[in-house]
Amino acid sequence: MRPGWVLRLLAFCGYALLLAPVIVVAIISFSAGDFLTFPPPGFSTRWYEALFANGQLMAALQRSAILASVVAVIALLAGMPAAYAIARLRFPGRDAIAMLIAAPLLLPTLVLGLALLLALQPLKLAATWPGLVLAHSMVALPFAVRIMTTAFGAVPKEVEEAAWTLGATPARAALRITLPIAAPGAAAAGALCFLVSFDETVISLFLVGPRLSTLPVEMFRYVETRTDPLVAALAMALIGVALAVVLLVERLVGFNRALGRG
Amino acid sequence: MTHLRLEGLTRRFPGAAHPAVDGVSLQLPKGALLALLGPSGCGKTTTLRMIAGLEVPDGGRVLVAGQDVTALPPHRRNMGVVFQSYALFPHMTAAANVAFGLEMRGIGRAERRARVDEALALVGLSDLALRKPRQLSGGQQQRVALARALAIRPDLLLLDEPLSALDAKLREGVRDEIRALQQRVGATTVFVTHDQTEALAMADLVAVMNEGRVEQLGAPEEVFERPATRFVATFVGRAARLPGKVEGPGVVRCGEVALRFSPSPVHGGGPGWGDAAGTTVELFIRPHHIRPLVEGQPADNVLDAQVLRRTFTGDVVALECATPAGTLLAELHGGTRGASAAVGSRLRLGFAAQDVRVFPA
Repeated sequence: MRPGWVLRLLAFCGYALLLAPVIVVAIISFSAGDFLTFPPPGFSTRWYEALFANGQLMAALQRSAILASVVAVIALLAGMPAAYAIARLRFPGRDAIAMLIAAPLLLPTLVLGLALLLALQPLKLAATWPGLVLAHSMVALPFAVRIMTTAFGAVPKEVEEAAWTLGATPARAALRITLPIAAPGAAAAGALCFLVSFDETVISLFLVGPRLSTLPVEMFRYVETRTDPLVAALAMALIGVALAVVLLVERLVGFNRALGRG
Repeated sequence: MTHLRLEGLTRRFPGAAHPAVDGVSLQLPKGALLALLGPSGCGKTTTLRMIAGLEVPDGGRVLVAGQDVTALPPHRRNMGVVFQSYALFPHMTAAANVAFGLEMRGIGRAERRARVDEALALVGLSDLALRKPRQLSGGQQQRVALARALAIRPDLLLLDEPLSALDAKLREGVRDEIRALQQRVGATTVFVTHDQTEALAMADLVAVMNEGRVEQLGAPEEVFERPATRFVATFVGRAARLPGKVEGPGVVRCGEVALRFSPSPVHGGGPGWGDAAGTTVELFIRPHHIRPLVEGQPADNVLDAQVLRRTFTGDVVALECATPAGTLLAELHGGTRGASAAVGSRLRLGFAAQDVRVFPA
């Protein structure tokens, strides 16, 4: 059945509500004025030029991109074996472990950030790369495990059993058969973990230091002291990165397939 | 020479009231094809999975060529399995699917290629070697699965309902192809099916299973003509079923008439059957054992019948007839006597005492 006009109208209003602020930001980012005002007094690309000339923000962007990439890889490497075990093996405590891995999703990030700071400070890991990577990986892991559990679960058990009967040990069957079939899921999980880390602000606020800061933190600090449209241009840059990652996954494997709905 | 031997194989699923497989024992000679035949839930697939090592038995042993393999994991058993869903590797070409088992055995590239070509040629798919499974039809996928299982030169070939996913039209052809292939390579084979025609047409030995047990193990003719239990008589082939009561040795009363049967162990119930007067029984008579008689022609059992329904199916005419003993079904070849009998007409039907199966009701 084709959706009726009422449904279309509702969908339109929903999307409009969600996207309106983004559209406002997009328009302001091209402002010619000196303040965050809407409508802008005129249009220019001066704030984009200012953004690319801002060494501090560009350095933070680079740091965040590297951090997010490392976190995505770690979350995948740690998450895939866990997801495989949860999806395929039967062992005591399986449900408890699955819950434990998902726990960071349920905790308020403020609490998590404080806890991480208290835990990492004595280890001299606060405001260091390892500390940030560890903290972000913790937040990203539940996403990796969730998506990969679904992806592994979608691989028919018989396909793996066929590999066993052909002489593959369970480990080789998992690596040669199950993992490649679940690869689109891994791509989606990696992309999502990248974005989770790239956007993570609250926990980072606790853990960054004067010489090691991420982009969202820098952005947060910038709006605290300045009110010019540079931050709008930066916001558009962030959306651009997120969109690029999503499109890359879409292009490589197709998002629906990647999320196991193909 | 016995190649596969099952000894008291048992599997109990946690929480289930009855064991899925309950003490299955049988022997299969080298090169023979065994059909595990039974309704769904009878334990035939679980039995197959235990032979393959995919299911761990709670009791009993699996022996292949005299060797106890019960404790071996599937990857150390050397058994070629064709799954009901074929279970091809979707990310690999047909050739890579077939090569996988050889690669796992550490067979070198050159020999691997030769054996992949050989296996694909065997199933007539040489031209499609580089296709992915999703680019192949159901029948072609099934052949790849078969080639993949045969390429490892398995000690046993195990087929789980390999025809059930195919079109009815294809099924018969593929059935004969699998049988011919199995005989050509001499693979000792276990075949799971719920289709009695498939089992009877393909197998050297048929094991009829019900509720986790083997009800009868025998050649197809034997299982069909001399069912050992009431279940086998019901499940394999069709039969008219008449309720009755034993009157004396070899005589059963059905309604108003006494019918004769030859008591013997194969008629169910074991020795001494015919003497158990007063026992309530059920008689099974196959449609093709019933013949129309001319006036005065003798037979062990003769019944006056009236045709209730006549079904013409081409080469065979099926007549449903009312008799004093109950409703009988007779199948006559077109053109033979009685085949042209119209609905309502009267016939004399006869059948031999040895063709009557009697089982306790």
